[in-house]
Amino acid sequence: MTDPAAWLERIRALPLAGRVRVMNVCGGHERSISRAGLRALLPPQVELIPGPGCPVCVCPEEDIYDAIALAQRDEVTLVAFGDMLRVPCNAPKAQPRSLEQARAAGGDVRPIASPAEAVRIARDNPARQVVFFMAGFETTTAPLAGMIAEGLPDNLSILLSARLTWPAVAMLLASGEVGFDALVAPGHVATVMGPEEWDFVPAAHNIPAAVAGFGADSLLASLYSVLRQHVEDRAFLDNCYPVLVRPGGNPTARRLMDECFEVVDANWRGIGVLPASGFALRPHLAAHDARLRFDLAADPHRKRAGEMPPGCDCARVVLGRIYPDQCRLFGAACTPSSPVGPCMVSDEGACRIWWSTGKRECRPEDAPPAPVTGDA
Amino acid sequence: MCLGIPMRIVERDGFNARCEAKGVSRTVSLFLMQHEPLEVGDFVMVHTGYAIEKMTEAEAASAWEIYDEMLAIELAEDAAMRAAADAAASPGHA
Repeated sequence: MTDPAAWLERIRALPLAGRVRVMNVCGGHERSISRAGLRALLPPQVELIPGPGCPVCVCPEEDIYDAIALAQRDEVTLVAFGDMLRVPCNAPKAQPRSLEQARAAGGDVRPIASPAEAVRIARDNPARQVVFFMAGFETTTAPLAGMIAEGLPDNLSILLSARLTWPAVAMLLASGEVGFDALVAPGHVATVMGPEEWDFVPAAHNIPAAVAGFGADSLLASLYSVLRQHVEDRAFLDNCYPVLVRPGGNPTARRLMDECFEVVDANWRGIGVLPASGFALRPHLAAHDARLRFDLAADPHRKRAGEMPPGCDCARVVLGRIYPDQCRLFGAACTPSSPVGPCMVSDEGACRIWWSTGKRECRPEDAPPAPVTGDA
Repeated sequence: MCLGIPMRIVERDGFNARCEAKGVSRTVSLFLMQHEPLEVGDFVMVHTGYAIEKMTEAEAASAWEIYDEMLAIELAEDAAMRAAADAAASPGHA
């Protein structure tokens, strides 16, 4: 292991000709980068862009609306990871706009920290219909597969909004507006799925890529790797988190995920449908699919269904098209205590992370990049 | 959620294990680790209550160094945010 200072020295010694934009796609990475103040330590040519790395942020507005509707039913106990409870949807006036508000209005809504808690709550309350509203990437979808494979109580169903991480990167790379020159790939997603998922980034697009862990040493190692690949015009997939990322990933997790879920086209909030980007329950689990159990169907007359709140630029923040503080609501109309968009709610949302590390004011979109300088 | 928590197995009963980190004890499922023999004393990376990979004690200690720093800052911020929310909830604030 090389210490962070040595990695910084190596990065500073690289002959960088011009601007290099390095995207990360993991809220955990963005949090570590911001907390450690890495942006201020890197050469000025290096820009670190938070990309699509927050599953709560891309959970469709329609799914949140459905979860709130379920939470208002007398027979239902709705459980979800704590992050989901405060994400607002576009409910009509006088109706709850978040799960937290549904709970305040008398709904039985409970935050959980593990899928195993959903099972325990269902077993402890056999007369209740327990619905687990699950938004997450591969790192939480794998535990969900474990939960399902261990056996589900009859009264437990799942409202699934799980997504794969790489398809959003594939979409950006295929779009006319890539917006980054190198990629730091998410460590624990690769722990579960294997690093090979990210091979397409250098192989098909000649974009440098490196899998990173969450410490400054691993993140800086990955930055050095992709910057060096960039300088040498030699793109490949590097594994800078070998202690937890092994070829092929976690074989048990992948087998169970394959048994429980099929990969389907899926909607991303503010972004649209991305091909083969979501997990859906396989037909043999239909009895535990909350959408089927409760016959959830979209109301064609609901106003602004699926839309972002007015003025909210979360979709462009998620895609790394703008920095969090370039949204005009950032820090003024939208703060963690009074969030407008999902990126200010979740611990993995870029807006929330930037605000938490001291960046509290918005700046005009055309301003030159002057990213956050964390002082942790 | 993607950060994960390194924990040490202190007791095991089938796929359920009691794991500890920083003096806090949690029930952790080892169901996703069926390919890897695990024993009491081993360290695992835990995501939402499920171990997703085995790790060494040194790796766990190094991960905790980072988390300690981050958690300390976040606890302070949560307190500040609650204070701000209380202030916002006071009468006269839109």
